[in-house]
Amino acid sequence: MLIGASERDFITKGVESGIRADGRGPLDFRQFFLETGMITQASGSCRATIDFGTDVLAGVKVQVGDIEGRVDSDEAQADGAMVEDAGAGDDAETGAQSRGNVGRVVCTVECSPAAKSVLDAREVDDMCNEYSQILTRTLNGPHGGLDLQKLCIIPGSTCWVVNVDVLILDYGGNVLDTIFMAVRGALHNTRLPKATVEQTDGHFEFDISDDETEILAGRESVPVAMTLSKIGTSRIVDSTPLEALCSAAQVTVFVNRAGNVCGLQKSGKGSLEPSILIDMIETGVKLGTELAEKLDAVLDREERDRLSHIEPTGFR
Amino acid sequence: MSRELLAPEGLRVDGRRPPELRRLLTRVGLFAVADGSAYVELGNTKCLAAVYGPKEPRTQSAQLHDRAVINVEYNVASFSSGERKSRTRRDKRLLEIASVIKRTFEPVVMTATFPRSEIDIYIQILQLDGGALHAAINASCLAMIDAGIPMSDYVVACSAGFASGTALLDLNYIEESAETPALTVAMLPKSGKLTMLNMESRLHLDHFKDVLDLATEGCKSLAESLDEAVRKACKTPRPI
Repeated sequence: MLIGASERDFITKGVESGIRADGRGPLDFRQFFLETGMITQASGSCRATIDFGTDVLAGVKVQVGDIEGRVDSDEAQADGAMVEDAGAGDDAETGAQSRGNVGRVVCTVECSPAAKSVLDAREVDDMCNEYSQILTRTLNGPHGGLDLQKLCIIPGSTCWVVNVDVLILDYGGNVLDTIFMAVRGALHNTRLPKATVEQTDGHFEFDISDDETEILAGRESVPVAMTLSKIGTSRIVDSTPLEALCSAAQVTVFVNRAGNVCGLQKSGKGSLEPSILIDMIETGVKLGTELAEKLDAVLDREERDRLSHIEPTGFR
Repeated sequence: MSRELLAPEGLRVDGRRPPELRRLLTRVGLFAVADGSAYVELGNTKCLAAVYGPKEPRTQSAQLHDRAVINVEYNVASFSSGERKSRTRRDKRLLEIASVIKRTFEPVVMTATFPRSEIDIYIQILQLDGGALHAAINASCLAMIDAGIPMSDYVVACSAGFASGTALLDLNYIEESAETPALTVAMLPKSGKLTMLNMESRLHLDHFKDVLDLATEGCKSLAESLDEAVRKACKTPRPI
């Protein structure tokens, strides 16, 4: 999408004097809505919508998988769901050793043609790919929140794989922040079937329960994303597509509820002065923590609705 | 057949009677960017459709000088079914369904009104419990109407099958996967003409008439519900 020189000037001058076209202040979020649990076939689901803007649906599906980073010699020892020795992973190289008893999260982001009215097809593909990687990296990282060790079923061989699939249904700017909101909601909504492991003469066997479920450990520490866009000499949050076109550079700060920075990502074509960068990060942390608290309040309410069997509205 | 699809009391696996449709819920106009959008929920099958256009084609070669081109993209979310399946856009099955839907709409949409332009239909199945194809066609029809694209009539689709000597309307996943013959038809309710007919299994010609009649009955009843949904959507004020 192209933007006229005078419209660009209007938006830039406006932001520099603290005024935005839709009446918001520079650090005001648009109203957003969150609902969980509308996809009953998924282990967890959440739809995050920004008022008249971006609409994101995240679905979580858990499945039993092999632990990654297992070297071939271990695989030869392992037979189906049973392993000779739980400590087999210890002999492997250090990388595999540290990953020998953790589950993993796999994320994909797909986009509807809505974004193609603003970006061209290749940019959309690049964006989806980039966001998939950011999500996977953040959630699997040491500050991803989820307790990946709890996802391990049999050390060295079997674990839960949490598949997070994100659909961008409508495009109205600030996609990454909305994706993180939806993913956080979907992980909060996820129920993992209870797996019980039994050990009989050195062999491990596991059983997946049909009716007993448990929540994902550490779901409340999953970070939120807070993107600040630099326009002119000032910065704004929650940019609309038009504002995004005027923005030279964006900084996304990933913050958890405790206010810890879990990651940073700079995007956009322009460059940033170190002085404004520090200010942007500090603002991002402050607003991100507030957003996480707000989300938690919504998710707690959703949880209560679930317990009292109130059916989610979904799309209808 | 491993499982009895019709209980002796005459009820189906989900408790419906043979000529009974599942609960239909619709919503017209849910997205801001798309020119038209709709959501259809048939029992546990959930489907979104968005229409973009008529607009200038992305490539010059894709345009026709006398009419508009209809493009259909059909996607199934990987969390939509019991087992997680990740399907690429190149999946042959999805492409086939997309072209079936495209052919269903081509005779109805007045494409000659928009020469050298294209109309994109984007379909996303969110949850699968049988009947994805007819849910997708009904959702697309609502989205086309929401986009204001001129059509000579509604396009309403419904499926019917045959088990235990009885014709069954609107098959769910269990019935579909039990190798029952399933017929999906798309109908123009005003003229009663069929624009799509799809059956992928064996069915005796003596029974075919019953199954077809039941499917068209289902279409007529769905047409009333869709018409109601459109009228309701027209009366609801929407932000610009």
